[in-house]
Amino acid sequence: MKSMSRLAIPYIIWGALMIFLPMLLIVIYSITKEGNGILSIAFTFEHYKKFFTDPDFLVILFRSLVIAVKTTILCLIIGYPIGYYISRSKPSIQNTLVLLVTVPMWINMLVRTYAWIGILSDGGLAQQSLKLLGFDPSTLLYTEGAVILGMVYNFLPFMVLQINSALAKMDNSLLEASADLGADNKMTFMKVTLPLSVPGILSGISLVFLPCVSSFFIPKMLGGGKYMMIGNVIENQFINVGEWAFGSTIAVIIALVMMISMYAVRNLEKRQSY
Amino acid sequence: MNLDKKRRPIGKTIFILTMIFFYLPIFYVVVFSFNSSKSLTSFTGFSMQWYQKMLQANGMMTSLWVTIFVAIIATLISTFIGTITAIGLSQSRKSIRMIVKQMNDFPILNPEIVTAISMMILFVTFSINKGMFTLVLAHIAFCIPYVVLSIMPKLSSLDSNLAEAALDLGATPWQAMRKVIVPQIAPGIFAGALIAFTMSFDDFVISYFATGGGIKNLSIMVYTMSKRINPSINAISTIVILVIAVGLILVNVVPVLGRKLEKKNGEYAGINKKIKYSAIAFATAFVVFIGSFSFISLGGGEGKYKGQTLHIYNWGEYMGEDVIPTFEKYTGAKVIMDNFDSNEQMYIKIVNGEKYDVLVPSDYMIERLIKENRIQKLDKSKITAFDNILDSVKNLPYDPNNDYSVPYFWGNVGIVYDKTKVDVKDLEREGFNIFRDDKYKGETYLYDSERDSFMMALKALGYSMNTSNQKELDEAYKWLLDSVNKTHAEIVTDEIIDNMAQGRKALGIVYSGDAVYIMQENENMGFYVPESGTNVWSDAMVIPKDADNKELAYEFMNFVSDYESAMSNSSFVGYTSSNKEVFDELSSKDGMFAEIGAYIPRENHPNDEVFNYNEKTKKIMSELWSKVKLSASRNSKK
Repeated sequence: MKSMSRLAIPYIIWGALMIFLPMLLIVIYSITKEGNGILSIAFTFEHYKKFFTDPDFLVILFRSLVIAVKTTILCLIIGYPIGYYISRSKPSIQNTLVLLVTVPMWINMLVRTYAWIGILSDGGLAQQSLKLLGFDPSTLLYTEGAVILGMVYNFLPFMVLQINSALAKMDNSLLEASADLGADNKMTFMKVTLPLSVPGILSGISLVFLPCVSSFFIPKMLGGGKYMMIGNVIENQFINVGEWAFGSTIAVIIALVMMISMYAVRNLEKRQSY
Repeated sequence: MNLDKKRRPIGKTIFILTMIFFYLPIFYVVVFSFNSSKSLTSFTGFSMQWYQKMLQANGMMTSLWVTIFVAIIATLISTFIGTITAIGLSQSRKSIRMIVKQMNDFPILNPEIVTAISMMILFVTFSINKGMFTLVLAHIAFCIPYVVLSIMPKLSSLDSNLAEAALDLGATPWQAMRKVIVPQIAPGIFAGALIAFTMSFDDFVISYFATGGGIKNLSIMVYTMSKRINPSINAISTIVILVIAVGLILVNVVPVLGRKLEKKNGEYAGINKKIKYSAIAFATAFVVFIGSFSFISLGGGEGKYKGQTLHIYNWGEYMGEDVIPTFEKYTGAKVIMDNFDSNEQMYIKIVNGEKYDVLVPSDYMIERLIKENRIQKLDKSKITAFDNILDSVKNLPYDPNNDYSVPYFWGNVGIVYDKTKVDVKDLEREGFNIFRDDKYKGETYLYDSERDSFMMALKALGYSMNTSNQKELDEAYKWLLDSVNKTHAEIVTDEIIDNMAQGRKALGIVYSGDAVYIMQENENMGFYVPESGTNVWSDAMVIPKDADNKELAYEFMNFVSDYESAMSNSSFVGYTSSNKEVFDELSSKDGMFAEIGAYIPRENHPNDEVFNYNEKTKKIMSELWSKVKLSASRNSKK
């Protein structure tokens, strides 16, 4: 058996070079003085200080978290009934319904986000439809609403699939037992269905929240030039400003924030599954 | 089960609405790929022109091919490594397993953009040339964890005695793995491979930072092109949707059909396998079909430079459609063109070792590149271009004898305005200050560039745009804050061009060349350059120090400066040509731009200036500008 365990060695080496080393480099950059040379190392914490003392960056970080929370809540509100609906459908059509939710994910995210530009533009489909419904169609593109819409559009399938797979595992006899014992629908849902789907909800939350916070092409395409999220700030530092040290600092901070919250969610998940 | 009945109609309604939400944009893309006009909002008629443009466009089909190629290679390698790792781990000590599992989780929990820049930093630090190789490497790296994750559960439910039995019976570990373990965990491997393929096919963020050398996948292509309306994006998207649809039908429907057939015929073996193989064969054929399309667009004919490659780094939408294909035909070389949208973006890439043969930066950036010794002195004996070039753009202060650069386009910056909404008297009286006039609230665009914005503010205040005086810069900053607060300006980049062309707002700051395009598209639009002065700029071609193909670079510079190419460039893009003949012809009475004043930049105005390079003020401006943007985004929240 020993000889077989050696099969994991290539990946351990790979991980050291392609996972551990790059992250180490980011950390080193983040505490290195200006200039992108790794040879002339002079350590400093000025970049961290800059981040935490400049209200602008904190505002953007906060905004990113708020948008991610809003998106996650929306995904949960819309995603739960859908996941529930699929799991309660006839087994013969369940696969088809799941497929319907999955197919859009296969099509390039950029392509799908680009499509929204046309729909949301002034005089576009969205505005015209709103007009027909009697709403006042003000500007839709390049607003926070557009950014959140783009996020929900891209990440909702993850939520639906997670909730559905948690609910699909549920034993139907539990529901029957609950009904037999005199619980009404609402009570059965609150006492049986919902608690059983919590692991799905939690993993759905992590799958939506995480990519939302650091997303940068959705805010750029649908939010216009001024709607910066933390991902845009990082991109900007690396692509347009060229201050890699500061860009790395923001990356380290965001990675830490995300990892801590994800580990927290995972622990919750584990506790739930026991 | 009757307890669910009541909930169903609600669930069903939400499901159907969401499906409309999911599929509407996809449907929209397909429909508008056949639109006869450029509009993304109204369908004017059926046409195939965007498919034609897509096939002609430099690199569009290639990007699709790159996407598929990278996805296939990354899937194969990551599935292989992932599989043996999972098997190895299932047989290792628990402590090792835990450590590797943690390591494996890392890229999944890490925000994608952090993984992406960590890769970029890795490649740059060890001077690995970014290109196809690094792209594939990065894709393999983010695919493996998902493969491992989808195989591990299958292994833990596998009876470990099986492998042991195989080994006892004399199988080598390799045989035991292949003949005993792998068949048992095949569904996990297949699922892992599928996830890997999807992730790779869909990826943008990591590719965006890990690639170089003109290698672009579809996502990057869409991202860089999406600033201007370009229905070719819809066309190529439709192709992708078609590929996915065919693939999904093969993967999902065919096996189901197979099973049905089996049931009918009662024979279990054979058919399903046959159908699977034919599905794979069909998919391969499809990929090859798409691939062959992309090779058509690869170009490269017979010529002196056959087999060679020229790497150009230019602004987006800065060339006539036929210039590159003609150059390729004429020289036999292949051209790879990357686009940037700011001088700084170009500069960072160059500094980090990206190799190009020709760059097209602006004046102040050329000054910087000369100072930092990053571009080379031109061998003037090889350049025929200078005879044709306008005196106005020759020997400018940034490169006094044109020792380093050959002028390309030039122009100034001004205000594009809707004549039906803006009173010209307001413009004449206020100049740039019209952007602080709350009469035009909600009707203005600013350009997302600290340089141009501060130019506008400083000129409005009557200062030099090259000032390094902190007090003046602060004043300009307040001016800009006031502007975004009073008019609730949208801050955009090239989106401004299409939006103004469609008359969505009344006022915008644009480069004169873009104003030409806007005025051509919409006759209600006018262009005004304030008396308080503006920026007169010029872009020119230079050769970096470490260019691989200087000869071809010279050839290109001469070719582009020639009458025919310069004519094609200028008439297609709308920017002012540096070629004398072309400039005279296009701006003459019967010329294409005769009616469009923006084509002829104002010259010798006492308040007009050329940008100088000053790193310190640039940094100050950049920081202040991001504060202005932040303030502007608060306004839009409502």
